Amino acid sequence: MDNIAALMQGFAVAATPINLLMALAGAFVGTIVGLLPGIGPINGVAILLPIAFAMKLPATSALILLAAVYMGCEYGGRIASILVNIPGDAGSVMTTLDGFPLARKGEAGVALSISAFASFCGSLLASIGLVFLAPLLAQWALAFGPAEYFVLMVFAIACLAGMVGDSPVKTLLACVLGLALATVGVDANSGVYRFTFGDLHLSDGIQFVVIVIGLFSISEILLMLEQSETGAQMLKASGRAWFNLRELSMVKWTIARSAPLGFLVGVLPGAGASIASAITYMIEKNINDTDKTFGKGDIRGVAAPESANNAAAGGAFIPMLTLGVPGSGTTAVMMGALTLYNINPGPTLFTDQAELVWGLIASMFIANFMLLLMNIPMVGVFARMLAIPNWILVPAIAAISLVGVYSIHATTFDLVLMTALGVVGYVLRKLDFPMAPLILGFVLGDMMEQNLRRALAISNGDTSVLYGSGITVAMWIAAVFMLVVPLWLRWKRNNKLIEVK
Amino acid sequence: MVDRIVAAVFLLLTLGYAFLARGYVAQYAYEPIGPRAFPMLLAAIAAVCWLWLVVRPKSVAEDIEGLPPGGVTKAAIAIAGLLAYALLFEWLGFPLSTALATIVIGRLFGGEWKRLVVAGLALGASLYVLFDRVLDVTLPLGQVFGG
Repeated sequence: MDNIAALMQGFAVAATPINLLMALAGAFVGTIVGLLPGIGPINGVAILLPIAFAMKLPATSALILLAAVYMGCEYGGRIASILVNIPGDAGSVMTTLDGFPLARKGEAGVALSISAFASFCGSLLASIGLVFLAPLLAQWALAFGPAEYFVLMVFAIACLAGMVGDSPVKTLLACVLGLALATVGVDANSGVYRFTFGDLHLSDGIQFVVIVIGLFSISEILLMLEQSETGAQMLKASGRAWFNLRELSMVKWTIARSAPLGFLVGVLPGAGASIASAITYMIEKNINDTDKTFGKGDIRGVAAPESANNAAAGGAFIPMLTLGVPGSGTTAVMMGALTLYNINPGPTLFTDQAELVWGLIASMFIANFMLLLMNIPMVGVFARMLAIPNWILVPAIAAISLVGVYSIHATTFDLVLMTALGVVGYVLRKLDFPMAPLILGFVLGDMMEQNLRRALAISNGDTSVLYGSGITVAMWIAAVFMLVVPLWLRWKRNNKLIEVK
Repeated sequence: MVDRIVAAVFLLLTLGYAFLARGYVAQYAYEPIGPRAFPMLLAAIAAVCWLWLVVRPKSVAEDIEGLPPGGVTKAAIAIAGLLAYALLFEWLGFPLSTALATIVIGRLFGGEWKRLVVAGLALGASLYVLFDRVLDVTLPLGQVFGG
């Protein structure tokens, strides 16, 4: 069992004091970032990344910190969903459906503890899946040439366009916009400066932290302006703090179904936690809703999305670590973190950077236990943070966002660019453009272009290389499938709606 | 209507992008695909999509949630405030520019003047100490003060 041996070595890395501290700090900060509406895992990770870099943390410790933040967010999101009926982040939207009614019935404690347990199971399953599946996939991906990589990225974009957001055209546009932003800067192959307008600040391209913080944090601040000033009223974490055995046996099959499914959705490049929790909630509702209790406070309705979104978050690491194609917006930011440390994600990561990869995986087990221990007894502490009024919370988010961007290059140029991108992001989000595909496009842009050019350089310009091998053909078919099936389902649903009318 | 206007603006930007990309030719071409092919491909896809969003029939267009009353003014003040924060960040230094930004943004979220002044100064000072002194992330103290 090579995997187990490697994992044990990973634990040796993860158990050093600095890395344990990073996992603990990440878990704590992540829970807070997840529960505060307005900042989710993507901007949480994006703000912390340059700060970790500026603190001169080694790459492994920085990644452990960021991964723990990501996992913590999936835990934290449920607290706001259950107590305030406002999802703390996109992955916990479904949790509000049954979580808030439970809290209103005076069973907030049960809802919080069962969802923490479900989150734990989801994360644990994903970590185990990572140990066994990731090295296999990495081995297989070693056979990929530039043409295969290019088609793989087309597949990732097709997954996104088919599944994310309500309008495939807008998702595709967001993605292309991200790819286009990635073309800014000097072209490595020819030395041609592209879209820099003669400005030296742009010759290296746009820093991805600037893009992420601008599009997510700054635009979020502008969107928050529209919320009513009287914050939603918060319910107290009342009732029993722990679930009992009867409740546990009620959710065990729900978790057993939702966690693996969430994991698989997470592994698909592009599809992340929000899709996983929506799918599993609908499935559990179809299976179990014989007494029409779903939506009125059924604990299975909290357990399903929470186990699924945590499993998806873990699963999203697989394509990022093995293929260099992130499975979610947040792992896209983490991939940016790797490039900041001059580490190339891809199949060779498992051999070249074994210590980093296995240390990261081992730390995910550790952080998961920390999060469970933190989230059940300390839920009252976290819940109190929901009472922070927006008039101080929002300026604090703005200040930390600027610190994050400033810490990379220390230029006013980046700060202004971030603000401008924030305004663009605000307009696009008002028009229902999803932002995560844009980030994914930006992170993939350079790789996609390089692989396309390399593939065509090898074949001397013959485009048939892009559909010449078995792998590429299979991936083209999969891409069409991922694009067409959701469209067909949507078309069918719309027709049904029209008939009903 | 707003969505069509925005789409039209982005369509123009896409065309400008394509126009710039057309000029990017390598001096010594040693590969079949030069630096302009990929941007041109992206521009072609984007142009078709934006054009669709401009001309699509009304029955397909989604309703866009409008801004609440006074929303445009609020958004404009917030954008101006954030831009000023970015521009003054180095010149006034982190603690002072953060205090000012807190007051402007906090006002938009219904904070009281007195509380905001106190909170702004406290936020600027405490974050400065946390990042610059404890976490070793260098922040400016202000060029105005010769820092």
